[in-house]
Amino acid sequence: MLGYFLRRLGGTIPVLLAVSLFAFGFVRLLPGDPARLIAGPDATLQDVQAVRERLGLDQPLWQQYVRYMASTVRLSLGTSARSGQPVLTEIGERFMPTFNLSVVAMVWSCIVGVGLGVLSGVKRGNWIDQGSMVVAVSGISFPSFWLGLLLIDLCSVRLGWLPTGGDHDWKSYVMPAFTLGLPAAAVMARFTRSAFVEVAQEDYVRTARSKGLPERVVIWRHAFRNALIPVLTLAGLQFGFLLGGAIVIETVFSWPGLGRLLVESVSYRDYPVIQAEILLFSTEFVLINLLIDLLYAVVNPEIRLR
Amino acid sequence: MSINPELRRRSVLTGATALAAAPAVIGARAEAAAMPRDLTVAVPDNLVTLDPADANDTLSQGSCRLMLEGLYGFDENMKIIPKLATGYKANAMATEFTFTLHQGVKFHDGTPFNAEAVKINLERIANPANHLKRQSLLSVLDHVEVVNEHTAKVVLKTPFGAFIPTVAHPALALSSPAAIKKYGKDLGRNPVGTGPFIFTSWTPDTLKVHASPHYWVKGLPHMRTVTIRSVPENGSRLAMLQTGEAQYIFPMPPELVATIAHNPKITLVNRQSIIIHGAAMNTMKKPFNDVRVRQALNYAVDKEAFIKIVYNGYADQMDSPEPPLLSFYKKQGAWPYDVAKAKKLLAEAGYPNGFETEMWGANNTLVIRGMQFLQQQFAAVGVKLKVSPLEVGLLISKVYAAPNPQEATVQMNYGGWSSSTGDADWGLRPLFTKEAFPPKMFNVAYLDDPAVNKDIADGLHTADPKARAAAYADAQKRIWQDCPWVWLDIDRIVDARASNLQGAYRLPDGGLLLNDAHFA
Repeated sequence: MLGYFLRRLGGTIPVLLAVSLFAFGFVRLLPGDPARLIAGPDATLQDVQAVRERLGLDQPLWQQYVRYMASTVRLSLGTSARSGQPVLTEIGERFMPTFNLSVVAMVWSCIVGVGLGVLSGVKRGNWIDQGSMVVAVSGISFPSFWLGLLLIDLCSVRLGWLPTGGDHDWKSYVMPAFTLGLPAAAVMARFTRSAFVEVAQEDYVRTARSKGLPERVVIWRHAFRNALIPVLTLAGLQFGFLLGGAIVIETVFSWPGLGRLLVESVSYRDYPVIQAEILLFSTEFVLINLLIDLLYAVVNPEIRLR
Repeated sequence: MSINPELRRRSVLTGATALAAAPAVIGARAEAAAMPRDLTVAVPDNLVTLDPADANDTLSQGSCRLMLEGLYGFDENMKIIPKLATGYKANAMATEFTFTLHQGVKFHDGTPFNAEAVKINLERIANPANHLKRQSLLSVLDHVEVVNEHTAKVVLKTPFGAFIPTVAHPALALSSPAAIKKYGKDLGRNPVGTGPFIFTSWTPDTLKVHASPHYWVKGLPHMRTVTIRSVPENGSRLAMLQTGEAQYIFPMPPELVATIAHNPKITLVNRQSIIIHGAAMNTMKKPFNDVRVRQALNYAVDKEAFIKIVYNGYADQMDSPEPPLLSFYKKQGAWPYDVAKAKKLLAEAGYPNGFETEMWGANNTLVIRGMQFLQQQFAAVGVKLKVSPLEVGLLISKVYAAPNPQEATVQMNYGGWSSSTGDADWGLRPLFTKEAFPPKMFNVAYLDDPAVNKDIADGLHTADPKARAAAYADAQKRIWQDCPWVWLDIDRIVDARASNLQGAYRLPDGGLLLNDAHFA
């Protein structure tokens, strides 16, 4: 399995090189002059030129590319055009808040989502099934900015239980993690339910039942394990998206995460930061996919990794 | 040599009031012991830098003002007041300015404040090799002479009558020479000044500062700590004020004002600003090359209704190209709403059935609402307006793409301006003179009136307030009549604060001023 892991890891390098080339080209296709945007609304041409020189945007494109690749390979990623800070510092400061919030949201939405999904899969058609699916559909349909503001009004302004935003202590995680995880939990519940329903009709489940195994064992050992495979894939994708930073949640709960940084860097055409974020998100997706592939083998030993 | 009498008088007056107020302050201090002394301000944007010479946004500038001071500065109404300088003398040519400095002042790191520090700071900003965003403010600087420990003489390359307002600009706040040397390019993360507060920390969206125990102005600051937090969502900022997590928030969205009207703990702040808005017309191209067309469109807009609908009433009408709080402002009167007159002028200009044109503007709610309002108003006089809201980056590149007026494709452009020096020169020169044609500066109307060009140049080439006033009065009169813009409004500063918070302001240009903030 270690050999498999290393081979897969090596395989990500060409992918990431292609992504870095794409990111470099993509940001330069955006209309708008970074030097003028960064120089500010009342900058004279002289100021704009000074910024252009400082950012190296007056150099030919191929030189800019060589410089960018050199810093990417060394993993330094350059300095932010807007703040002059190293991109690694800028992203580093924002990564942990996003990561922590994503993990909390992911954990609760997996537990609740899979739990509800299994419950309604087992008790198909009864009130638990219908009730949890109503909750799930609502979870997908609530716009998160609306839900977020509603929660702030209730829990912070009226009841005074929770802070309105920021990432200070555990209390400040409650509302953003709930709002962020709700759609994920809802999707997981629906997905788990249908996967479970499908697996429950398989021959080996019928065989297990006819062997006289207790229902608990049939459900958890035979049906659940197999139903978990597609759910894991979905969870991986969801987690990848969450790590990209949730712009709406970060805005409503003033959470200092990557989503807000991306919006800001795009509006100022801060090329180094946009490039680094694209690269980071791609790396995260590649790694999560790899992790999920490894988890398949853990869940079902029949799957061999070669 | 002439001494600016107004500035001198002001510094004397401030001294007198400070003396008279001293016993009261001591009394208040004893009482204030139990008062909370930690202030949190919630703001919509993120800080960019704490190096004022490299800052071009009002939030970064206002935050720097907590920790750093210049030779001159602004009071809450943007009147110029002496800070680290006690006074100045200028030669009649406005090329030499000699500043006398406060004695016994130290930077937060213990470095003494003196003429050498002034020299190091100003020459650092002016040096193009440092690529600082505010270099152009001091591009007129030749050198600074250290006359003695407490006297610095600034020598300019060309006459520059607006030099004192430039010195008061937040970008020219002074950093400790030792810190400049120590931190170099990282000065923006390690501010060291002479101001009332000392830098504590700056994480992605939160700046914290604490009171300087040795601040040279006795009795200040009142607050123990100040925190500035970026909270982008309007509703969340208001919630912070309601829960007491913040004591000052801006801006207060006009549509939410009703929700705090009956809350005794929250007070609405509603102040005059110097931020103007208008729609520039390309005066070099048809149909706007005819002054009658430009005047007709000014008659065609009901400014009162514009302010009610676009700004929920929180704006003032313009009555001169300068807003009243800018120096040398001269009232010109209004362009009344008169559809009949607008139609008559258009007919005289050869457009009895109107014409079609396009207006560019930013794609935020206020601008789009404003442009749509103009579209309706213009339709009443037969002018078909195509409204084009554009993402800011795209808008800027379209406006500044033309290397010369002939190639400019702009017809109308919805824009705004605020003179960051509080002076008439920076309020008029970048918008209405030939030297300011894009891409150099912001004369998007391509106005080129030799008399206006001369007035504005005259105003800059003397330090004599009377001569400057006369020059700018004439310029304002001509520009107002010539209508390079459809004159729209002067924004108001609409914020909200805890009712017991006093002395916390946003200046008319939108920058924060918290030096005197205290709870009462």
